[in-house]
Amino acid sequence: MLVKDCMTRHPIMISPETPAAKAQTLMIENKVRHLPVVRDGKRLVGLITRENLMVPPSDLGSLNVWEISRLLSNIKAEDVMVKGKALVTIGPEETLENAAALMIEQKIGCLPVIEDGVVVGIITEVDMLAKLSELLGGNVAGVRATIRIPNKVGEYAKIFSAISKHGWGIYASGGAETPKQPEFWDIVIKVREVSEEDLRAVLEGIEGHKVIDIRMIP
Amino acid sequence: MSELVKAPPVLTLEDVAIAYKIRGGEIEAVQNVSFEINRGETHGIVGESGCGKSTVAWAIVNFLGANGYVKRGSIKFQGQELVGVTGEELRRLRGDQIAMVYQDPMQALNPSMRLGDQMSEVLTVHRGMEQKEAEARCIEMLERVYMPDAANVMRRYPHQISGGQQQRVVIATALLNNPALLIMDEPTTALDVTVEAAVLDLIAELRRDFDTAIMYITHNLGVVARVSTRVGVMYAGEMVERGTVEQIYEAPQHPYTQGLLRCVPKLGSDKVSSMLYPIRGRVPPPNNRPTGCIYGPRCDYVQDRCRNERPKLRQLPNGLWVRCHFAEDINPGEWTPSEDIAPPVVGIRDLNAEPILKVNNLKKYYEVKGTQLKDVLGLGEKRYVKAVEDASFKIPEGTTLGVVGESGCGKSTLIKTLIGLEDTTEGEARFLGFDITGPISERDQSLIQELQMVFQNPDSTMNPSYTVGQQIARPMQLFRTVPKAEIRAEVIKLLNSMRLGANYYDRLPRQLSGGEKQRVGIARALASHPDLVLCDEPVSALDVSVQAAILNLLLEIQQEFNTTMVFIAHDLSVVRFFSDQVAVMYLGQIMEIGPAEAIYTPPYHPYSEALLSAVPIPDPTVQQKHIRLEGSVPSAIDPPSGCRFHTRCPRRKLLPDDGQICVTDTPPWREAADGHRIFCHIPLETLRSFDPVISQEVS
Repeated sequence: MLVKDCMTRHPIMISPETPAAKAQTLMIENKVRHLPVVRDGKRLVGLITRENLMVPPSDLGSLNVWEISRLLSNIKAEDVMVKGKALVTIGPEETLENAAALMIEQKIGCLPVIEDGVVVGIITEVDMLAKLSELLGGNVAGVRATIRIPNKVGEYAKIFSAISKHGWGIYASGGAETPKQPEFWDIVIKVREVSEEDLRAVLEGIEGHKVIDIRMIP
Repeated sequence: MSELVKAPPVLTLEDVAIAYKIRGGEIEAVQNVSFEINRGETHGIVGESGCGKSTVAWAIVNFLGANGYVKRGSIKFQGQELVGVTGEELRRLRGDQIAMVYQDPMQALNPSMRLGDQMSEVLTVHRGMEQKEAEARCIEMLERVYMPDAANVMRRYPHQISGGQQQRVVIATALLNNPALLIMDEPTTALDVTVEAAVLDLIAELRRDFDTAIMYITHNLGVVARVSTRVGVMYAGEMVERGTVEQIYEAPQHPYTQGLLRCVPKLGSDKVSSMLYPIRGRVPPPNNRPTGCIYGPRCDYVQDRCRNERPKLRQLPNGLWVRCHFAEDINPGEWTPSEDIAPPVVGIRDLNAEPILKVNNLKKYYEVKGTQLKDVLGLGEKRYVKAVEDASFKIPEGTTLGVVGESGCGKSTLIKTLIGLEDTTEGEARFLGFDITGPISERDQSLIQELQMVFQNPDSTMNPSYTVGQQIARPMQLFRTVPKAEIRAEVIKLLNSMRLGANYYDRLPRQLSGGEKQRVGIARALASHPDLVLCDEPVSALDVSVQAAILNLLLEIQQEFNTTMVFIAHDLSVVRFFSDQVAVMYLGQIMEIGPAEAIYTPPYHPYSEALLSAVPIPDPTVQQKHIRLEGSVPSAIDPPSGCRFHTRCPRRKLLPDDGQICVTDTPPWREAADGHRIFCHIPLETLRSFDPVISQEVS
């Protein structure tokens, strides 16, 4: 699971000379929130986001209607785009964690993906969330259980061996340290073709494990 | 990208009409075409020639020429309108995001530039990359498309690599810029089935890895079934049906699509148990389209409403788009052929009949002139292209021998040798008991009369300044088969039996369509009432509906006159349908020969097996074994030792020592059944144990 598996390839891109108004229409019509700005050969020079195109009302207060439209029609993508140091990018071979960390640190919603100086894709927070949802099994029918286990080597494996003993398959799983309780670990699994009761019985049969949530996803 | 995130389509065409300005007006070549292509999807566009498929593709890249323009509608690429965009903006979009692959790779490549230079130009000019770096990227991309010895290929010129490799270079060049949309216009039509299969595999793989949207234009229903996720069927400039591959092939709703599917033989079906039904009439020219439904004049279900009102493309409850007033009422299962297209009833041919042609160890070598001084003086060692090696077969009277194989396998040379266009190097060929190995000038007139040929390309075999009547009458005059006074009547009779009619007598070849020309070619071959007709790819240049009509015609003739035929084709379904016996040739050597049904079921020769697994089948539910041959046919100047196929044979490792015996020894002929012989070292029991190549998915 690297950036290249999660990114959107062939994003819509514009040139620096594109009028900002056109960029705005493109984003609305295609329901996207980011437009990489590229020069010849898809070399990244900037990024347009919906926020870029917002003009603070205070700037407009002093202008009359005619001046506004004249002003707006002269604005080009290169005048409003994110550029220079503020433009954060990532490579296709990076891990998703790195991409996420970068986005969190910079508080941004999108990273253009660059390979050999050329835009090959774009990864946004929505792509990340979609991947998260998939990691946990998405909307696939099955039983979803959250188990609190001791934070020790070998505990996680016990769940897998108990389930595989019954011939069931784990469709998706994920785990993270329990918030504010470092001695525990919370595991989410999804098992298909099994009843809630059967799964609960098996999971609670493991010593030290506690099922804190179990539900059927139809 | 995740399935959860829905992206807008890469390409959207809405109600597009494309017109060409001509003297005194304009012609709308394409009307009301709408479709969309999503990311990572292959959208097939099928239809007969002249239906506007390529015009649509050209409109997308604004390549219509000076007199063509998009008259109505919009073409949106990634949400950006392409119609009306010119200059820099369009150049940027096209260069960076849209790439196109054409039918003929040789015309896409510059013959005077090294391949490496033309490929890296894309990167150095368009992206300002350094030459060294660009070359490295090109080599990488060539390896990606499985080009053997990529670094070396960069230094070669286009003519130094094979057709399949040329097409790979073109595809690699198209992909260098990682386009969002790839338009492929008949990219595999000029290639052999084995190469075609490899290119189609490659396309499927690239679509997955690069998430490229592909618009795939072809006339071959089998190819579309293999590569596409969705298909649009075009007829006379309109899109008449659009849906997923499964919908189109399992339950086509438009009469035209149904008709097209009835025109192609299913692989494994033969002329006794199944029939082909051509579509009557032909595609109307763009300036003379009917007012109502465009397909009306050729449709079996036409009603008054169809004649008056043009149907709109509408969506059926199952999601299929169709342009027909009565789509719901038509049940293709109840269809019966109307009288004018009814196919001939074919009886089973007797393979034990007296052989009319016996060929024994026939060889045809061409001497290759060396360029060194001693060669010029005639002192050097003589080298030969061994075009046909030890061909032996018998054709019983009234039956058909099909010959298949990749190009360069000596199929055409074989029949040219038989008819006398080439002399025989060695061996024996007896036709009606007469020896036909000598030069044609010494051949008896009556023998020439009994042995006629139908050529692949009717354009180049007809004299453009003679009328149809004169051309057909010529063999009759020459062989004096018909009294002079009756020649005209006889020609008209022949024209009628070709379903052409007496009014074709005074036409010139340029006034005929491709299918009609081929009919005249067949009529001319039959004019002297020959006993043996040699057909060299008679239908491969024709559209499927015409192809069905020609095949039916040939069957009818065979039925009526008990004519014997040798039939060359590269389409294995057609050969299976048409022939009683099939010979599979590889590099001048017959690898397997036998009754048609025996060739298409185990035991197979490994080469036949590979050919069969490469044939595109117009049915998406059919499962085929995945066997791909490496490389291309080796040179016939120095054919591989032992078994000629050993360099590419995927089954060689079944023999001990990795098939060392195949390299050193010529394989034996193994008699698999009565008249079914296989030229292979692998024992018959092993060959029999192979699974059939083609299996129907049980639904």
